[in-house]
Amino acid sequence: MSTAPQTTAAPETKPDADAGSEPLVLLELIQRLKVRDVMTSQLTTVPRSSTMRQVQELMRQKKISGVPVEEDGRFFGLVSIDDIIRALGGGYISDPCSRHMTTKLVVLEDDMPLSFALRYFDRYHYGRFPVLNRDQRLVGIICQRDINRALLVELTHELNRLENVKVHAVDKEGNYSIYVLREFPICKYDFENAGKAANQIKQVLQEKKFPPKVIRRIAVAAYELEINLCVHSDGGVLSWLISNGRAEIVARDAGPGIEDVVWACQDGTSTANEWIRSLGFGAGMGLANVKRVSDEFEITSKKGSGTTVKSVIYVDVPAGT
Amino acid sequence: MTMIEVAEVLKAEVLVKGEGVHKAIRHVVASDLMSDVLLVDEEDMLLLTSLASDQVLRTAQIVGAVGVVVVNGKPLPSSMVNVANDLHMSLATCKVSKYDACVAVHAALNPA
Repeated sequence: MSTAPQTTAAPETKPDADAGSEPLVLLELIQRLKVRDVMTSQLTTVPRSSTMRQVQELMRQKKISGVPVEEDGRFFGLVSIDDIIRALGGGYISDPCSRHMTTKLVVLEDDMPLSFALRYFDRYHYGRFPVLNRDQRLVGIICQRDINRALLVELTHELNRLENVKVHAVDKEGNYSIYVLREFPICKYDFENAGKAANQIKQVLQEKKFPPKVIRRIAVAAYELEINLCVHSDGGVLSWLISNGRAEIVARDAGPGIEDVVWACQDGTSTANEWIRSLGFGAGMGLANVKRVSDEFEITSKKGSGTTVKSVIYVDVPAGT
Repeated sequence: MTMIEVAEVLKAEVLVKGEGVHKAIRHVVASDLMSDVLLVDEEDMLLLTSLASDQVLRTAQIVGAVGVVVVNGKPLPSSMVNVANDLHMSLATCKVSKYDACVAVHAALNPA
């Protein structure tokens, strides 16, 4: 008679109510990553006939704390350090592991989101969970170290994607030029952070030793556009690109849009409220000032939809960059 | 004249000594409107303002100011010193009014 483990697959549950307090990037990651992306799939397993002592020796050699009992992909149970300690204490360390392995197990399925695994580590306090596929075959094992490692790798990728910084690229014509692209999300009324993107842009340009006058024009355009996104839009993205002697700063938002673009670009025209003015902004000179420092200036907007403002400033790439 | 010397003239307390603290001041702007400050094209300027906010420092950094003096004894939000340190921007505070500060700094920069 074969021994079948009594497994409980983690049921699908709704996300935690406090999930909204996590950073969005992390939330998105733990939803996007599947258990199969994180688990260890190169398993050290034993057949049911192995003795508890053989399992103990395997644990010592491989420096692992749990060994699945499996034959041809069929999962029977798991021998943990606790099982070994009990076998030593009980004097049955020479018995076959099938008699003393843990068979009441909570398992995860390989296509579950990582968020489920995290929740089950929190709920059950087990060191590891076996992972089964849809055919109930053992395909992996997951422990918290696997999760930490996977999250660190994925967060690094994510940060690289968000920063998306490339320097010293070669363009389509084969010209060697400096090339920098970054995108900054800007939130409505987030005055605590407004200006940070422009400050960072300026610091990068200073590090690359661009001429001070050019740095100043780019920084002013970026800052004015960033403050505009913060003050007037429902939130948007500030992106900047330097390539082929041009610095392009683009502010893009999804609303509320400008009814009269020509009016909005005139000096002294503003829809800012008193609070904005008390912070030193909203004098209605932002777009006009961006236009003043730009070599090329474009604005497209429609009331009820988004606005895109592009400022282009001609730059000479500093020698040696 | 440097920001340190201006601070002596205004009896100002220098809270952060940034990169420009020993630079010669070539221009002075007195404004509470950061939009106005962003219009100034002068290099190495000192900003006198009665606006006490982080944005003053970010604006000063964007235009390459040597430092900021907050006048009128305005209480500073606690974040301002941290932001000034992050941006390496000199920051001082004094009790005199903006008008009196302008007069005193003008006199010190243009001795008879």
